[in-house]
Amino acid sequence: MTTVALLGNPNTGKTTLFNELTDKYAYVGNWTGVTVEKKVGQIRHSHTQVIDLPGVYSLNPITKDESVVTNYLLQNSPDLILNVTNASQLKRNLLLSVEVLELGVPVIITLNMIDDLKRSGHFYDLKTLSDKLGCPVRTSNARNKEGLTQLKADLVCDQSEIQPDSPLKLAYPMMVKQAIRQAAESLTNDYKIDNKFAHWLAIQYINNNKVVRKYALKHQLKPLLSQKAYYDAQKFADQIFETRLSFIEATLSAATEQLQSTKHVALTSKIDKVVTHPIFGLPIFVGIFYLMFKLSFDWVGTPISTQLDKLLSGPISHWANQFLTQVGALPMLRSLIVNGLIAGVGGVLVFIPQIFVLFACISILEDSGYMARAALVTDRIMEMIGLNGKAFIPLIIGFGCNVTGIMAARTIEQPKERLITTLISPFMSCSARLPIYSLFVAALFPRHQALIVLSLYFLGIVVALLMAKFYHVMFKAKEHSVFIVELPQYHIPRLDIVWHGTWDKGKGFIKKAGTIIFAGTVLIWLLSNFGTRGYVTQIDQSFAANLGKVLLPVFKPIGISTWQPISALLTGVLAKEVISSSMMVLFHTSNQGALIAMIGGSFTALSAYALLVFILLYIPCFATIGTIKSETGSAKWAAYSVVSSLFISYSLAFLIFQIGSLLT
Amino acid sequence: MGLLVNIIIFAAIFGFAGYQIFRAVKRSKQGKCAACDYDCEAKKLLNQSKKRSL
Repeated sequence: MTTVALLGNPNTGKTTLFNELTDKYAYVGNWTGVTVEKKVGQIRHSHTQVIDLPGVYSLNPITKDESVVTNYLLQNSPDLILNVTNASQLKRNLLLSVEVLELGVPVIITLNMIDDLKRSGHFYDLKTLSDKLGCPVRTSNARNKEGLTQLKADLVCDQSEIQPDSPLKLAYPMMVKQAIRQAAESLTNDYKIDNKFAHWLAIQYINNNKVVRKYALKHQLKPLLSQKAYYDAQKFADQIFETRLSFIEATLSAATEQLQSTKHVALTSKIDKVVTHPIFGLPIFVGIFYLMFKLSFDWVGTPISTQLDKLLSGPISHWANQFLTQVGALPMLRSLIVNGLIAGVGGVLVFIPQIFVLFACISILEDSGYMARAALVTDRIMEMIGLNGKAFIPLIIGFGCNVTGIMAARTIEQPKERLITTLISPFMSCSARLPIYSLFVAALFPRHQALIVLSLYFLGIVVALLMAKFYHVMFKAKEHSVFIVELPQYHIPRLDIVWHGTWDKGKGFIKKAGTIIFAGTVLIWLLSNFGTRGYVTQIDQSFAANLGKVLLPVFKPIGISTWQPISALLTGVLAKEVISSSMMVLFHTSNQGALIAMIGGSFTALSAYALLVFILLYIPCFATIGTIKSETGSAKWAAYSVVSSLFISYSLAFLIFQIGSLLT
Repeated sequence: MGLLVNIIIFAAIFGFAGYQIFRAVKRSKQGKCAACDYDCEAKKLLNQSKKRSL
């Protein structure tokens, strides 16, 4: 088995390349930090295993996930390293390549996204690059599969066919060179470390690589440890950096060739002038989101959803009812299946069009390259709060599912900032909340559906940011992490990537319908059909009604005057979609139209909005609570998240309802 | 349809629902990948390697 490690800067297309090479699909986004942990795949019909490592700018890690790469190199020795570089950013990309080449493991460098480079009017002479760097250099474009056959052929060779490479030797200043040589020699002689590896270890140690320094301490590598003060005092790390940089500059200037056309770059920078404008950038961002909601609620999603609902509540319910009567099912079972499962689970499934349209829009934004700009635009506001644009990425991912958002917060290096991002993530309006929004906006705001949903999303962001500021002051977070985001060139989104992205995000929703939404619906059916006296025909005597009525005085001040939504809210902790299915069951309706009419009857626009705000911000679902616990490593933070979100949601809904009532 | 069949269907629905709630609570306790509904590539590979090690 040959092992190939895929390594390179963030956003150079490693994951796309990984997917193409291994005939497998992993999540691809046009922004930094998509790969958090390493992925392993196999090239079809071969014995070659490919490992996709997270993108890093250097082997000296800044963030938690960046140390994955250095640790990998310290503990494993791949047979081959495929260094994926962004052809248009070669100068910076080669800084990492040099570090990898010094290791002495066979390396193939591929200049990926070669079409972007050509459009910028440059090209590199591959032979010159290959001679200077001492390894094969290829070109590829993973997106349209250019150059992949060659790469695959390079990778699918037998272990024995791979030529051992001698490490790249740079002309470091004499003192540095001497230090490296002495350390490497002692390591080889005293610790029996392989000469090449010892050499690399010495360079990395001198270059103040935190992970390597920890490694040396752990293994008590005296030749390195004893010289630490000397290396640092002499500022060897700076000298190493300068030598590498001048080597790269010389290599590139020798290899650069000019082409003519630069139209595409001009276009990207023209678009960027508008969308990242200090003043207009933010309104454009809001406008794009508004358009997204217009598409999913007004133009495409809701009309399809209404048709689905007609089908479900009409023929399907009717047919099921008839069938069950014919085969002699008890009335109770009929009620469970028709009024419970079909109405409840089906009632959530009819929102698939809205959710998929929204996910498709987000995938298009990701693949076109706009999301990276959105992070840049929001960076200015985040800066005022004390976070930076990097925190925006997990937050946006949280729009899909808060759990994935919290997982993505791992890319933030400062522990305090990471904790803050984790704590504010549940305020982002995840897709599970869409069905209930849909229901209420259709009932009470039929003409302004997109606007109301947009306002909820942004309210979520505003609350998240205010809380972030609050935590920032509380935790006295002083350290700042650096926000580096690459602005990739815009490209026309590729249909298959958009579809994959949409499906990836959306299939979780469908799966949930068959699992937790199903379970929640059965639970609420049970609660609404049984009471202290056993099976009840009057829902008012059920457990659900009793429970809702007990809590009614608490919810009165935020505008809720019936018990049904309260019982539905309780089941929402299982998964937020369950709120909608519970409403269906509790209001005893089998179609969305009837429920909308019911809601319209028992809510005013104001109380409905207050309830939506409450739903937006109240207790996170089970899965999110669990993830907060495991990511912060303490049950206390998870409990805190539950209590604080309950407090915030209640206060805000209270304020909105009370102030609104005074005004109207 | 006999009473027995009715009862069996009831039991199946409640059994499945109960199991799903139990699983959701268990998964959320594990947190991380287990709690997430997205079946991403990393997760599939993780599950595969778990199976293999068993």
